[in-house]
Amino acid sequence: MKRYAYYMSCINESMTKEVDRSIDFWQKDLGLDFVKLHEGTCCGGSNLDYVSPKHFALVNARNIALAEKSGLDLIVSCNTCLMTIRTAKKKLDETPELKKEVNEILKREGLEYRGTSEVRHLLWVLVDDVGLDAIKAKVTVPLKNYRIAPFYGCHILRPSTVLGRDNPLAPSSLDQLIEALGGQTIPFEHKNRCCGFHTLLVAEEESLNVAAEALEEAINSKADFIVTPCPLCHTVLDGYQSKALKQAHIESSIPVFHISEMVGLALGYTAKQLGIKRHIVS
Amino acid sequence: MPETIDQYQEGKRDVTFRVFRFNPQVDSKPYFDDYTISAERGITVLRSLNYIKEHVDASLSFRAFCQAGICGSCGMRVNGISKLACTSQVWDELDKCREPGIIKVEPLRSLPMIKDLIVDMDPLVDKMKHYSNWIETTMPLAEIGKKEFLVSEKEFHRYDKATDCILCASCVSECSILRANKEYVSPAVLLKSYRMNVDSRDGIHDVRLSELVKDHGVWDCTHCYRCQESCVKSIPIMEAIHAIREDAIECRGPKDTSGAKHAEAFMEDIEKKGKLVEATLPIRTNGMVWTLRNLLPMAMKMIVKRRTPPPPPLVKSAKGIKVFRAMFREMTEHVKQDHLKSHKK
Repeated sequence: MKRYAYYMSCINESMTKEVDRSIDFWQKDLGLDFVKLHEGTCCGGSNLDYVSPKHFALVNARNIALAEKSGLDLIVSCNTCLMTIRTAKKKLDETPELKKEVNEILKREGLEYRGTSEVRHLLWVLVDDVGLDAIKAKVTVPLKNYRIAPFYGCHILRPSTVLGRDNPLAPSSLDQLIEALGGQTIPFEHKNRCCGFHTLLVAEEESLNVAAEALEEAINSKADFIVTPCPLCHTVLDGYQSKALKQAHIESSIPVFHISEMVGLALGYTAKQLGIKRHIVS
Repeated sequence: MPETIDQYQEGKRDVTFRVFRFNPQVDSKPYFDDYTISAERGITVLRSLNYIKEHVDASLSFRAFCQAGICGSCGMRVNGISKLACTSQVWDELDKCREPGIIKVEPLRSLPMIKDLIVDMDPLVDKMKHYSNWIETTMPLAEIGKKEFLVSEKEFHRYDKATDCILCASCVSECSILRANKEYVSPAVLLKSYRMNVDSRDGIHDVRLSELVKDHGVWDCTHCYRCQESCVKSIPIMEAIHAIREDAIECRGPKDTSGAKHAEAFMEDIEKKGKLVEATLPIRTNGMVWTLRNLLPMAMKMIVKRRTPPPPPLVKSAKGIKVFRAMFREMTEHVKQDHLKSHKK
């Protein structure tokens, strides 16, 4: 069993509960043991870093320090949480005086940020730690009849100085996972593009245009569904799909899955168990 | 020696450039022309285009000047990515081709097309003007030319990287929001605005900032980092955008615009619960009327699917919230001290 600290993303505790639920079904099957960090707090969602850079450093030093206390790497299943926490880590590791200041405060809780735990995405754990062959060996219901559009989203790829796992111009990890589960990836120009999530409440029309572009390509490519490693991308591409497509005058629809659901399906769990029925687009 | 032959073969090969063509005076729609030339290892995309223009097709049009990554004239999309043709090695591009051996060359996006690979830079220049991206000196007219304007090394470092921008418009071409709305300020303009706003010699910071926070301004950036990733000078453009936002909240307050309110909500929620209260985020960002008008139909669907975020009282605080809150507030004191220190200076 490989043990990891599991970061609880705000959105997975509210709108996209199916992410954590589906992981709970299959983690043991793949030899994974995710210890949920109930003490963890919101990472700041790519906003706190400019509202207050020092609070941003404190909050995420603490999130990482909680994992370090158990000697575990921190696993994240939301792209923006991943990018945000890794950005803070980079800042802390490169700025000794900031690290010192933050650690003075963290003492109150008996915590210390040392920089020893890695912060990694669930997708990377699946592809790099479990391994594609081990995943293949566990597949009971291969996704062989499905044409799947891989939508990586931004914050698992960019900025590459912070992320660095996949080539941001030609990412492959999600494609590899799809293929290991028996599915067929389709060439998808928008695989490394944006979903528009972060401006949904500030520039809705623009955000929906951005989302519609990706949805349109997936629909035109005759994909059976889109799969994404990010619950924020999922919220736009699924939750806002009808609004985005209506704005772009497109009469069609396409289901959008989380990677955790796709893995669950291939490992033999049902759509009902995995919470797929909670999606807006069925 | 066979080794030499291999090296020779590796050092020279036929490469096809699939180039976007469009002359609005003649063509009803754009098309692609394939030019196959014998290219040597070490040759750039720009040199290949020059060769094609000189020896194969003189009608091919593109902009170029310095051939050394300095002037920013030859911004174009090579194999789908906006970059400078003069610093793009053909051999590197061969590894990135969708179709083996065929390098696709297209004009930048999000700017009006003039001919073939040439786009109209005027909309970008107009935006630079609109956001007053120059220094309006604080020095009295009588002193100009007579007195030195000293800039500290520390200050210089704040905009050192930003001044590396050569206005090639690669970031403009890659920007997600500009693709969605041509009125958007665009990353290059934001970078330049940041650079001017942190310059102590400039006297129109407030005027510039008041324009930047309006519609299509700094708050419309969707944090996709495509600008930064495509920057040919590796300038951290997003840091500049975030810095403008930080400055906007500090100078104009957290209730100034929907963007500021949205950002500030994260700070409030984290201090209070350690978790984001998503249910009220739209209301706190845009008010009740906007929320009802824009989100009600979707909220109904979400209720049916049991996907709605929980109302504030039901959002569970992170475990150990009391200690966390105390630490958060301790940091607030640190930040206050920092502000006092910087104002004293």
